[in-house]
Amino acid sequence: MTSTAIGPTWRRALGWVVLTLLVLITLFPFYWMLRVSLSDNRALAADAGSLLPAGFTLGAFERVLGLASLEEARAQGGSGASIDFWRYLLNSVLTSTLITAGQVLFSSMAAYAFARLRWRGRDAVFFVFLTALMIPPIFTALPNFVLMRDLELLNTYAAVVLPFFFMTPFAVFFMRQFLLGISREVEEAARIDGAGHPRIFFRIVLPMSRAPLTTLALLAYITAWNEYFWPLLVGQGEGVRVLTVALGVFRSQTPQGSPDWAGLMAATLLAALPVITLFVAFGRRIVDSIQFSGIK
Amino acid sequence: MHNKLSKPAALAAAVSLALAGCAGAPGGGSGSSEITYWLWDANQLPAYQACATSFQQANPGTTVKIEQFGWADYWNKLTTDLVAGTAPDVFTNHLNYYPTYAAKNQLLPLDEFVSRDAVPTDVYPEGLADLWTAQDGKRYGLPKDFDTVALFYNKKMLADAGVAEADLANLTWNPQDGGTYEKLIARLTVDANGVRGDEPGFDKSKVAVHGLGLDENNGAGVGQQMWSMYALSTGWTYTDKNPWGTEFNYDDPRFQQTMAWYRGLIDKGYLPSLATARSGSSVNDAFGAGKYALSTNGSWMINAYFGHDGVDVGVAPTPTGPSGKRATIFNGLADSIYTGTDNRDGAWKWVKHLASAECQKTVGEKAVVFPALPEALAVAKETFAAKGVDITAFTKPLDEGATHLFPITDHAPEVAAVMGPAIDAVLTSQADPASLTQANEQVNALFR
Amino acid sequence: MTAAHPARRGDLRVALLFLLPAGFGFVLFYAWPALQTFYLSFTDYSLLAAPNWVGAQNYRAAFGDARFGNALLVTVEYVVINIGVQTAVALLIAVLMHRLTKSSLVRGLLLLPYLIANVVVALVWYNMLDAQLGIVNAVLSWVGVDPVAFFGETSTAIPTIALVNVWRHMGYTALLLFAGLQAIPKSVYEAAAIDGASEWRVFRSVTLPLLRPVLAMVLVLTVIGSFQIFDTVAVTTKGGPVDATRVIYFYIYEKAFQQFDFGYAAALSVVLFVILAGLAVAQLRLLRAGSSDLD
Repeated sequence: MTSTAIGPTWRRALGWVVLTLLVLITLFPFYWMLRVSLSDNRALAADAGSLLPAGFTLGAFERVLGLASLEEARAQGGSGASIDFWRYLLNSVLTSTLITAGQVLFSSMAAYAFARLRWRGRDAVFFVFLTALMIPPIFTALPNFVLMRDLELLNTYAAVVLPFFFMTPFAVFFMRQFLLGISREVEEAARIDGAGHPRIFFRIVLPMSRAPLTTLALLAYITAWNEYFWPLLVGQGEGVRVLTVALGVFRSQTPQGSPDWAGLMAATLLAALPVITLFVAFGRRIVDSIQFSGIK
Repeated sequence: MHNKLSKPAALAAAVSLALAGCAGAPGGGSGSSEITYWLWDANQLPAYQACATSFQQANPGTTVKIEQFGWADYWNKLTTDLVAGTAPDVFTNHLNYYPTYAAKNQLLPLDEFVSRDAVPTDVYPEGLADLWTAQDGKRYGLPKDFDTVALFYNKKMLADAGVAEADLANLTWNPQDGGTYEKLIARLTVDANGVRGDEPGFDKSKVAVHGLGLDENNGAGVGQQMWSMYALSTGWTYTDKNPWGTEFNYDDPRFQQTMAWYRGLIDKGYLPSLATARSGSSVNDAFGAGKYALSTNGSWMINAYFGHDGVDVGVAPTPTGPSGKRATIFNGLADSIYTGTDNRDGAWKWVKHLASAECQKTVGEKAVVFPALPEALAVAKETFAAKGVDITAFTKPLDEGATHLFPITDHAPEVAAVMGPAIDAVLTSQADPASLTQANEQVNALFR
Repeated sequence: MTAAHPARRGDLRVALLFLLPAGFGFVLFYAWPALQTFYLSFTDYSLLAAPNWVGAQNYRAAFGDARFGNALLVTVEYVVINIGVQTAVALLIAVLMHRLTKSSLVRGLLLLPYLIANVVVALVWYNMLDAQLGIVNAVLSWVGVDPVAFFGETSTAIPTIALVNVWRHMGYTALLLFAGLQAIPKSVYEAAAIDGASEWRVFRSVTLPLLRPVLAMVLVLTVIGSFQIFDTVAVTTKGGPVDATRVIYFYIYEKAFQQFDFGYAAALSVVLFVILAGLAVAQLRLLRAGSSDLD
């Protein structure tokens, strides 16, 4: 660091105070989820300002995980409708994984065609692909919904996954940008060895692209995991309902009265847990890859 | 990465296989031996679960899967699922919504089944069963319960204000000065310094207890438990005729005066602001927390109001209006069958069971709502009485002929979409009650 | 490159093969539905019966629809607050991190909200901002401020929703900007230090201009995303109070899926598309400089 970067001590101190404050603002809601989820619904109203759980209980988690009976749940201020947490978690994992796998592979293949192959009309076709980047999802959501209905795919995994499975304009654009930067020499060497394009793609280009592929996969996974609008339209059935949709349902399933805040926060926390775990495991990687996506 | 070219290809193939495999198995659909049933009231879930259990015992091989969604989401989900063709086989239906669904051929007419099984339709309180016959002359539901609106009050607050409970039976109301009803509300309102709403020095910016509770929903164009009991007691009606009106009357001075009076209560501090009412706690919970002294609400909420620990609650009928009569909406629910069900007979058996004396008595024993069948209502009345709840405040308007029907019209969702924000705007003082004339034009344009 | 290229002629076939899956997805889920939306926007379509051609009627209705105009306005208000505050805060965080720490932990913690679904974020803040039970109002009351019904008041609802989403995205945006800052060579700052330039001056005349390409790209991504605000509204205010949060996405959703008016909803999304496309073209023009090196 240079001398300007350090600056006077008080200025640095002020900088740290601001930064710490921002980190605290970032983290506080996570603590709040925990605090409310460990509280008793009836005690919450009387104890709004306390930083500690009001009337400590694990009841909310029991309700959400379906460990409490209907009567017990209702006695605790829950709706009695248990959230089938494990089912929804499985659905979220399954759909997000499928979307990520398909999207990354197929978008990379398309990007390869746009970046490394010469063919007539390439730029025009790429431009058409790019325009899709500007189409707001709701523009295609309505007919896609009708399409899924007519294919009788509503409330199947296929309906939730398919529109994101083959490509997204962003993924193609992102991978193409990276592939444009690879030196031709590697390819030429392989070609002289008699390798065809599929071989070059799978054995040379993909392994070389590990970093952007990881980035893309992580971004795709997070986006798929957090998707709400599309699964809300086509995947409300209990069998395929993903966590985001399930939470929306749970929120409205209040007994005629106030929301079951403790249960809601417990469910919210549990829904966030898998991604937080992923984050703890791959934290550095995620940070690096998101920065990476920015530079590109 | 392994040195095998085929790996990604194999993965892709496996993925598409998996997708294709999933495609065949609908998730929330209706299997032939399983009947999906929807309701919105969590309080009624245990009662209907009990009905489902007895139904399954009587009909081995058929299972009933009950799903509950909150009122706000219920109709959205139902509409999406009807459009998608994945609606539940049987669902709880509402007078306000069923005409739209019937007009779009989404409901199965029950006439054939009713006459085949000789199900009586004349055993209900008068008129209740006819409401479920649509404009095409076909029946789309069998009544299962009914509800009216009354005034819940906090006994201790009444005593503190020196008001006798018996006085509440003879309240009068008018849109000009609010009558004895407004005087009572003012008396029961207390600010942070302990000054009452009808005393000098009352600080309306720091109210500790509001005389009357404000519902977090504005009731859109109906205001069932919010403002309908005032508007209807002026002699005003929602539509030119009911059922099947095609002209709404939100431009009527009597209606707009009522809304002006109602909003005036907010300005005076007797009612909380809409923003406060809507910020998380429902009207009944705020009542239970001692923030309101009075609260109008429907009979389906009895248990919620009487369930608060340490709060002594009573119920009185709604006040008498300028027409010389009190007013309450008389509403009922029914179970309808979705036209797209793949198990019509099973669905009908379940609907029939829901309307049967056996299931209705089960509901009565749980004492959550008023069953439609008089014999089951008697059961409910006893159970309520055993809990210390006298339901005559709710049933009295029936004997007095003071009940009014929910507006049964086409286009109900669109009417609600126009009137919800319009009433919001009036209650938040962003628009004058006269602005409802314009909303009325928008609503009536739907029928032209 | 001197070797003969017999393979070049075959590139088209190979390209088609490589494009097959993505092209299939593009045609089926982007191109074809987009054309259909154009078609449906000229029809009366309830989804329960076949579409009925009605010409430009939906468009005429849209231009006379005050609530559609309101939805556009509300959305723009949201975007302005959301993007404005988010960019400013993110820039602050990025500069602070650049100056103070390279800690992965700090960056990681700031990124955490981005990993959580909008729906979850909305629910947590809905609780924290509750007028009666919320911690934020409890804190406000300690300093003598009356409770604010953040989601319930017409004037505060949209700013509240915008700020909630700032919370979710600020760390993510900061990280993108931070990466941009790191790409600025140290020597530039050293030169500025020798000139004795003040902190603010360095930021204005060195950091900001050099960061502009990254900033512009971040803005393109976030603005388009910001227009698609739906999740937060759907789980909190549902468009109210009055029409204060009836953003364009939510309005279209209501028309299509609650009021059986698919044709009209299609027309509204065409209008939205035209607006967004115009915006994107304008932004891309600002970005154009040397992004492509097609050979």
